[in-house]
Amino acid sequence: MSRTSSILFLISSFILLSSGTTFNNNALAKRIQKKVAKEVKAIFSVEEFELTDSTITIPSSPFLVGQQMNEIKVNDELLGYAFLGTAPSKTDTFEYLILFDPSFTIKKATVLIYREDYGGEIASKRWLSQFVKKQSNDAFVFGNNISAISGATISVQSMTASVNHVFSSLKNRGITAVGQ
Amino acid sequence: MKNIYIILSFSLLNFATLSAQQTTLNQNTTAADSLAQSLQINGYQRILSNLRGIPQGVTIGGYGEILYNQPNNLNGELDVQRLVMLFGYKFDDRVQFVTEIEYEHVKEVYVEQAFVNYSIANTVNIRAGLMLVPMGIINEFHEPTTFNGVERPSMDNKIVPTTWREIGIGVSGRLDRLALRYQAYLFNGFISHDGEAGKLKGSNGLRGGRQKGAESMVDQFNLSAKLDYYGIPNLRIGLSGYHGRTQADDAVNDVLGSDIGVSMIGLDARYKWMKFSARGQYVHANLSDTEAYNTFTERDLGSQLEGYYLEAAYNVLPITNKQRLDAFVRYEAYDTHKAVAGNLTKNLAYDRQEWTTGLSYHMSIGTVFKVDYQSKATGLADSQYGQFNVGVGAWF
Repeated sequence: MSRTSSILFLISSFILLSSGTTFNNNALAKRIQKKVAKEVKAIFSVEEFELTDSTITIPSSPFLVGQQMNEIKVNDELLGYAFLGTAPSKTDTFEYLILFDPSFTIKKATVLIYREDYGGEIASKRWLSQFVKKQSNDAFVFGNNISAISGATISVQSMTASVNHVFSSLKNRGITAVGQ
Repeated sequence: MKNIYIILSFSLLNFATLSAQQTTLNQNTTAADSLAQSLQINGYQRILSNLRGIPQGVTIGGYGEILYNQPNNLNGELDVQRLVMLFGYKFDDRVQFVTEIEYEHVKEVYVEQAFVNYSIANTVNIRAGLMLVPMGIINEFHEPTTFNGVERPSMDNKIVPTTWREIGIGVSGRLDRLALRYQAYLFNGFISHDGEAGKLKGSNGLRGGRQKGAESMVDQFNLSAKLDYYGIPNLRIGLSGYHGRTQADDAVNDVLGSDIGVSMIGLDARYKWMKFSARGQYVHANLSDTEAYNTFTERDLGSQLEGYYLEAAYNVLPITNKQRLDAFVRYEAYDTHKAVAGNLTKNLAYDRQEWTTGLSYHMSIGTVFKVDYQSKATGLADSQYGQFNVGVGAWF
């Protein structure tokens, strides 16, 4: 019985200690900023850059509940676009980032914040690499050119539908990669 | 230049947060937006206002399955096997409370899950409460649209006692670079003796010992862990382990044979490529001190439980269709008397084989109509019989 109590005591002190740090949206925005900056630097091989609002907006959809398109510039030269989207998971939402080149070919897709436990497998680097090099006139078909992840079906389909929605919105605006 | 950006953005963030405390969520979003416009701020700062749109609060979901079983030469049964209501509440970005209230056979109410999840990072979550024990596939993933067959695989009833849930605490998380998910928990164990009778028996092993979070008895905690690897495209592999001892009522706690040791290991794999899918699972359990337990309780508990199944399915509809029609076949073999201790003789009726073949018609994502035929046999001669099953299930 005493062993049980000592385990319980250890666990509860660990929880109390770790909950001492408070988190809020500020911290979250900071986390996202850091992650976006890290990805942009790595993918575009730059040390400094500017991120400004793009005139391109993507309408909301059931699979895109929040969005923002940014231009990535260095000394006013357009390097590409950073698209931040919020999509639904089973009981929550997650944030993903897509980095495009200037002709809207995907250079990188990554999941920035995934909140719930269920479906988090979509943040796997290997799975997300399936989106790379695709252009807005491409379409992703779950189970065909986007592989399934058993146990994460809802989030896999949500992410696939979300990126398809972004692509079709770009296409509707006449933004297609030409001459590529 | 970069530092100025960051300082500017932080002061704006602080401003937005202050105003957030005085206004409602929606009003605040508008305030942050108009602030963003008037100051011509950059993209980073707008991230904050967009994040304010994240839904917080209540999540409602659920799943249910209504089944019809028709064995050969016996009366059939129609049953609302289970209806589970999911209620979740998100307190903030890191703290969530998840509950599942289950109605079995319409009138038996259970709490299937009730835990608080505290997300320290993507890589580490702490969970405490009533949770599912991660063992094999079905115990964690049992919504009717996620598996073929009207009934769950039988070994996920007799070997892994689904739905197996107990109260405990533990950690879970993902390592995205390694494509690895891990879970490790301390749970209260099975109850082997409630002071009146032994709860574990030969036909279904540990099943009768589940405490389900209802005034559970605890003497010592049991360890449960699972690793899932999904780094190979289309494939997911799981390795589960469970180790500990059962609990016995204080009245018999000191009696030899009132509790047993339990060690269980599980391997599972799920594969899905284009229209083809397959899954398999192997589970083996070693139970120690069963001879003393059987002597004390006059039960017939085996000292080893073992089972496996293999299943293959093919979607006969075009892959671009929203609907799916999976034709599947599954072979299962499981034995709750894989080994017995002492004088107990093996009961051949506990050595079971089953073929299940049928169709799963997914009318939409989240609804399924199932039909299958099962051919079951045991180690006894002339034991074969068939059963026809129909079911409808939904998950939202």
